[in-house]
Amino acid sequence: MIGPLFSNGIISSNINSLLAVFIGILFGYSLQRSGFADSRNIASTFYLKDVKVPVVMFSAITTAAIGLFGMGLVGLIDLNKLYFLPSYLLPEIVAGLIFGVGMVIGGFCPGTSLTAMVTGKIDALIFMAGFLLGTAIFGDFYPLWKNFYESDPNGVWRIDQLFNINLGLAVFIVAAFAIVGSLGLRKLQTKFWGKNVEN
Amino acid sequence: MKKKLWDPVLGGVMIGIAMLLTFYIAGRGLGVSGALTSFIAWFQNIILPSVTQNSEYFSQYFAGGINPIFDYLVFMAVGIMIGGFTASLVSKDFKFEILKGPNISNKGRLVYAFIGGILVGYAARLARGCTSGQALVGAAELSVGSWAFMFAIFIGGFAAAYFVRRQWI
Repeated sequence: MIGPLFSNGIISSNINSLLAVFIGILFGYSLQRSGFADSRNIASTFYLKDVKVPVVMFSAITTAAIGLFGMGLVGLIDLNKLYFLPSYLLPEIVAGLIFGVGMVIGGFCPGTSLTAMVTGKIDALIFMAGFLLGTAIFGDFYPLWKNFYESDPNGVWRIDQLFNINLGLAVFIVAAFAIVGSLGLRKLQTKFWGKNVEN
Repeated sequence: MKKKLWDPVLGGVMIGIAMLLTFYIAGRGLGVSGALTSFIAWFQNIILPSVTQNSEYFSQYFAGGINPIFDYLVFMAVGIMIGGFTASLVSKDFKFEILKGPNISNKGRLVYAFIGGILVGYAARLARGCTSGQALVGAAELSVGSWAFMFAIFIGGFAAAYFVRRQWI
């Protein structure tokens, strides 16, 4: 069956939603077993004390990038029917900076706070309350930042297009970057904090 | 005794598989902040219907008379909670507690959690997604904006880390 199954009309909207629950279970289970339900593990990233969080992220990105474009290559998925996220470069950079500051202050991101909340972590519950308030502020005062939010639209803009290289090469570069980045972060962790930090 | 965590590479592969399943099945990425935005649109519409319906941003969530709570990502968020809860039972890690560094009070930690939450909530909307739906999914799709977003998260986090170190180390 050629994917995306929903876009190709192979499964109904209801089945798609039901399967979303199961994918969510896999995602939430994996987040918890990777240590993402503990705010200390997430915050430790920013002191290079424990780099497991970015290593997990790099591993996930590599798996998904190779899998996605690999499935496209063998015809298992029609990439033309996949929703690619559009780039709004400037707002994304500014948002990332605020997001990073919020993450080291709060100790979570949205997915990890949702996971940690249901494992009894009170700090995650309070983070979630703040998160929902921040979301409401953005939406209710939207006219104040609408222009900036919609600025610098680049449409679907991929790394292969940015460097004008072949798609396969771009995937290879991303995978190589993720692997080298993971090894480098682990080296820095050992350098600053020694070998005794639990990984 | 708590179970040992997965190796980070294995954890990443499992999350990568979850991402691939949404690509292959739904033709889109997974995400979390989108679900929470649908939730807040739905919730705010119950307690403050006029504010919500007059909001240029939130009114989009009701376009064509749809109920935002029946959203793809909301179903996924329910699954994430089931999965996280199950994992904490299996690994004997379920516990009502506040996790923090040794040099801050519980109250201080919760104040920081709330403030950080507000900033992340705002930033996730400005970025059209969070670490899941924008950083992970976008990076796997090789999106330039998503890679910039992810680098900016790390820059912001490293820049602010010194000022809140009392909370963590």
